[in-house]
Amino acid sequence: MADAHEIEHPTPAQYVKIAILLAVLTAIEVSLFYINEAADLGWINTAALLVLAFLKFVIVIGWYMHLRFERASVGRFFSAGFVLAFSLYAIVLISFGVLALNR
Amino acid sequence: MATAAHEAPGPDAAPTAHHDEHESTGVDNRKLGMWAFLSSEFLFFGALITNYLLYSGRDFAQGPTPAQVYDIPFTSVSSFVLLMSSLTMVLAHNAVSRGDQSATRTWLLATAMLGSIFLAGQVFEFTEFVVEQGMTLRTNPAASAFYVLTGFHGTHVAIGVIMLLSLFGLSRRLGGLSDRRFLNLELVGLYWHFVDIIWIVIFTVVYLLTATPGGG
Amino acid sequence: MTTTADRPTTIFRRPTAHTGFWSWITTVDHKKIGIMYGYTAFIFFLIGGTEALLLRIHLSSAENGFLGAADYNGLFTTHAVTMIFLVVMPMSAAFMNYLLPLMIGARDVAFPRLNALSYWLFLFGGLFLYSGLAFSAIAPPGGVAGVPGNIDPSDARGFGALPDAGWFMYQPNAGAHFSPSLALDFAVLGLQILGIASLISAVNFIVTFFNLRAKGMRLLRVPVFIWMTVVTAFLLLFSLPIIAIALFMVTFDRQFGTLFFDASAGGDPILWQHLFWLFGHPEVYILILPAMGIVSEVLPVFSRKPLFGYAAVVFAGTAIAFLGFGVWAHHMFSSGITPVAQAGFGLTTMTIAIPTGIKIFNWLGTMWLGKIKMATPMLFCIGFVAMFTIGGLSGVTHSIVPSDWQQTDTYYIVGHFHYVLFGGAIFGLFGGLYYWFPKLTGRMMNDRLGKVHFWLWIIGFNTTFAPMHWLGLQGMIRRTWRYDPSLEFWNQVVSIGSYIIALGLLVFIFNFWNSKRRGAIAGMDPWDARTLEWSIPNPPPAHNFSVVPVVHSLDDFWHQKYGEDDEGRPVRRADADEKVAHLGEIGAHPPTPIHLPNPSYFPILMAAGIPLIAYGIIFHLSAAGKALIVGGALLSLIALIGWGSEPLEEAPAPAHPAGAGAH
Repeated sequence: MADAHEIEHPTPAQYVKIAILLAVLTAIEVSLFYINEAADLGWINTAALLVLAFLKFVIVIGWYMHLRFERASVGRFFSAGFVLAFSLYAIVLISFGVLALNR
Repeated sequence: MATAAHEAPGPDAAPTAHHDEHESTGVDNRKLGMWAFLSSEFLFFGALITNYLLYSGRDFAQGPTPAQVYDIPFTSVSSFVLLMSSLTMVLAHNAVSRGDQSATRTWLLATAMLGSIFLAGQVFEFTEFVVEQGMTLRTNPAASAFYVLTGFHGTHVAIGVIMLLSLFGLSRRLGGLSDRRFLNLELVGLYWHFVDIIWIVIFTVVYLLTATPGGG
Repeated sequence: MTTTADRPTTIFRRPTAHTGFWSWITTVDHKKIGIMYGYTAFIFFLIGGTEALLLRIHLSSAENGFLGAADYNGLFTTHAVTMIFLVVMPMSAAFMNYLLPLMIGARDVAFPRLNALSYWLFLFGGLFLYSGLAFSAIAPPGGVAGVPGNIDPSDARGFGALPDAGWFMYQPNAGAHFSPSLALDFAVLGLQILGIASLISAVNFIVTFFNLRAKGMRLLRVPVFIWMTVVTAFLLLFSLPIIAIALFMVTFDRQFGTLFFDASAGGDPILWQHLFWLFGHPEVYILILPAMGIVSEVLPVFSRKPLFGYAAVVFAGTAIAFLGFGVWAHHMFSSGITPVAQAGFGLTTMTIAIPTGIKIFNWLGTMWLGKIKMATPMLFCIGFVAMFTIGGLSGVTHSIVPSDWQQTDTYYIVGHFHYVLFGGAIFGLFGGLYYWFPKLTGRMMNDRLGKVHFWLWIIGFNTTFAPMHWLGLQGMIRRTWRYDPSLEFWNQVVSIGSYIIALGLLVFIFNFWNSKRRGAIAGMDPWDARTLEWSIPNPPPAHNFSVVPVVHSLDDFWHQKYGEDDEGRPVRRADADEKVAHLGEIGAHPPTPIHLPNPSYFPILMAAGIPLIAYGIIFHLSAAGKALIVGGALLSLIALIGWGSEPLEEAPAPAHPAGAGAH
């Protein structure tokens, strides 16, 4: 991966395609919210929404922030903060009994 | 981070000038600093989101809670606006790397506009919650947590808009962004996308997942 | 490029002084900044120490009237806040600033002006924290017009006008209802400013570490102190945002009426404890790891052996930092967390002992069979190892939950953390000061007086803090201004010990002052040392390295001087003295001109705006408060614009490679 940063960056057309994908994912999220209001999907709704949000999150970081094209060390830096934040705060919320999937 | 963006080597020193002299990651100092700073911002927003999640499920003597007053269609639109501002931002970056200075300015301005629309939406949302729904900072802890979380995010967006407009102004005054300013644009871009990904999390976790069905 | 050199800067003429007052105000040189950190931290050490001595006078009898209860609360809280945030952290930062570029072969840190900004923010944050005292002295009884009624400054006078809720400011005790004094607001916002300073430093040091090491200094050739610096920087980077949010929540609660910690409105005070200790436990390692790094540098030099198990020491340090994020709730065993959480956090707490034990054995292994030279720096570092081991062992006892319930909030805890923070961190830092004094000043510290200082401290220290363990186990609770008369004898012993420590400090102050003026000239390499900073003259020239070194091994400077005989014992090379003298010659006279970052007014101006905003927040209901917020923000903004419009280096970058490493 030493020369990963040499990979060509996407073209404007590809950036637009990524944006369309992001928009579609958001649309699915919002529709899921209304479907869930009509008929309670329980934990499936929660899990699906989290997965969709995570996809959007990763796509923006990978392509728009060009993390895919950076040196591996930068990725380790950045993911360290995310993983640490996620784990620590998850433990806090679990200890309060808040983190339950079937809200 | 705005200050970090100005610690440049001499304008003519290529970013890779030190490779002969130092062991280095090969990533520019300022860029590495920005990534490190953004990485710590996860902990910053994580604490605020945790704070909100802790209180959002509780019952309080005094209502309403944010979950009861969300306007999901409205927030969906403003979230979409912010998401698309990431597209215009990356197009600005693409334009400047191609040396197309006027397209760069157009996309910078478009990004700043979309950011401002998002902020205006937030002002409208807050006003509606306070005036129409009677939910203030002091109504209950969940409301406090909501306003402080989205307020801190909004502050980040506002700082981003100011930085985008400064870049736009610089580019107009200097007739384009030099190599050094080019990196400034990249740093502002990183910051801007980061603010966007935080909103992606907030929109799903704070709005969609906690909104009371039938509310709003 | 010539255009930038000719263009005048937009706001001020660029400062040019190299000596005198303005050279310090405008400096961006990491060495000067490090020295300023050191002196400032030492002054705060005297203040914090005086607070401790007042407390010990009061506690020398069971029902003393020397201090009032409010004064007592103010003094013990401020003693803790001062020693942690204004002494140990900045003293470590002093060493990091001074040594980081020198030990990795760089001309400065990655962002020299940001480095200056960090220092000024630290200084202003510390002054802001203490300025509450001045405000209470001048505020009229009944409060100031425009200040929220719930925080009337006249509620507390004298030392009672210091923050009084303990350094971890548990909620709701530290909320507006139970701690109405303005002092808490000064403390909370002051800590916020100090946090910004440390966060900027952390980013700066991380980038410096990863991008500015001399050619050939691969990761496992980096001196242990620098490793501990970067590990500490990561701890700061990831823990400060948490306390920033927690402190913001307190500020919002106290100033703007949010309800985060107001249990009567449904708020949850336990959330404060989680957020505080999520920061607070990594903070403990932020305090101790730099001292561990110093000890790992000093022991090999005075044992004339390489550090035993270098890689293990580095990995153990990293492991301590990593595990340090997973143990925070062991501070909360008595706060009603679930049994599962208690068991889990008890276990993770025990695992911390493993990497810590590795370090201790490595230090012992370094000294084992070494040719030990008992100079003052070595004595302090051996003192560190011994005292820190005791503190570490009493620390592990807290991982046994039922035992911890017994010890929580007693003097046992007070004894424990003074063994790690005084016997550990402070002993290590003073060892470092004795060791690098010749580097800083070019003169030697008086060794005889240094030893007097050491023995006074080791005796005084143990007399002070060892009896606290049994006082605690007998049930003497912490933070009490009255106690059972049956405990009086040991309390008097403790008080006597604290004055022995003070006596030792006086010896140090005299020694420092005297040696700085009249000490023997150190020359090059007075300790026959191992690391790069000793390969340049004492004190170092402004540009550090005339020729940026190329590193071939761990302890590169040592290997330039020493070879090995058939049995692997070090043998000084015949030409070593000549080589060192040559290095001194080159160091003093660079073969090519070197351009350094220019001094700048903007770091201090930008830092000055921040406390103004903080004052504005405290007095935000009055017109003056609003004006302060706007004025402070404007000042910082103008400084930022000036900062952005002036280049780091005013002179054109030279064509030859020697000058290019200056950022």
